[in-house]
Amino acid sequence: MADGIELARAASIAALATEGVYSMGRGRYVAAATYEGSEKVSGVVVTPEDLEIHIVARYPLPRPIPEIAENIRERVAPEAGGRKTMVVVDDLEVADDESL
Amino acid sequence: MRVFNRVFMILLLAGLFVLGVYVVIYAFDLFDYKLEALPITDFAKGFESFVAGVENGSLSTVTIIILVLLAILGLIWFVAELRPSAPRRVRMGSGTYVTRSVVEDEVSTVAEQVPDVLGSSVSVKAKRSPGAKVDLEARVRRGEDLNTIKSGLQSTVRERLSERGLPVSKLNVKLVEADPRQTKTRVQ
Repeated sequence: MADGIELARAASIAALATEGVYSMGRGRYVAAATYEGSEKVSGVVVTPEDLEIHIVARYPLPRPIPEIAENIRERVAPEAGGRKTMVVVDDLEVADDESL
Repeated sequence: MRVFNRVFMILLLAGLFVLGVYVVIYAFDLFDYKLEALPITDFAKGFESFVAGVENGSLSTVTIIILVLLAILGLIWFVAELRPSAPRRVRMGSGTYVTRSVVEDEVSTVAEQVPDVLGSSVSVKAKRSPGAKVDLEARVRRGEDLNTIKSGLQSTVRERLSERGLPVSKLNVKLVEADPRQTKTRVQ
């Protein structure tokens, strides 16, 4: 079980490895990030009870958003240490190879 | 409501500050201003008679109406303050949220893929329960069959959003007849 910045890093890697995730989000109204020393992990907010993962979804969506979110939660669960995991889709990004 | 409260509080505090400055100046007889010289005698008398009227129950009808209206206004304001503000993100289900702009972009994209729609503008409001309230304004050519386009547009948007897993609790579609030369798309 990871904690703090380690958990943020693990969550970020897990999220980016999920199909349908284009990049980590930055938070829409306040910066979503975890800081420790000089290190910053964007798109993940770790609190003692919660884990908030902000993503930018790839467009067109390969799967419905709830499925992508569930997949991220499954990947992060072993590291989350029982924290409630929230997935927030901050934006959609059209992939370069898509002609939309 | 919060902006209104902020403006109200700024004005109130500014007024209290100015009043406080006056009180200090007059209380300490600064710059030849004396407390006795304050022109508040008429106000004090008027206020005294008003309080006496309240105690005796002999207020005029107009005054009673104004007081009741003030009480109602205060109650409305109080209730409005107690109501939690609308969430900023759209709740999709357990622990999954999307920003309103994501829903707006998706609705707009879907709407503009419908052949008769020349342009659109979308407004999304997040609700406390899962789902969003979507107001879609679509621009179409003059003379088109609006009812058919509206029902088609509604079902297409609902279907596509459902495929994406984006919950919509209410979808309002408004069609506006527009000149194709002034819309985003002239021909679909």
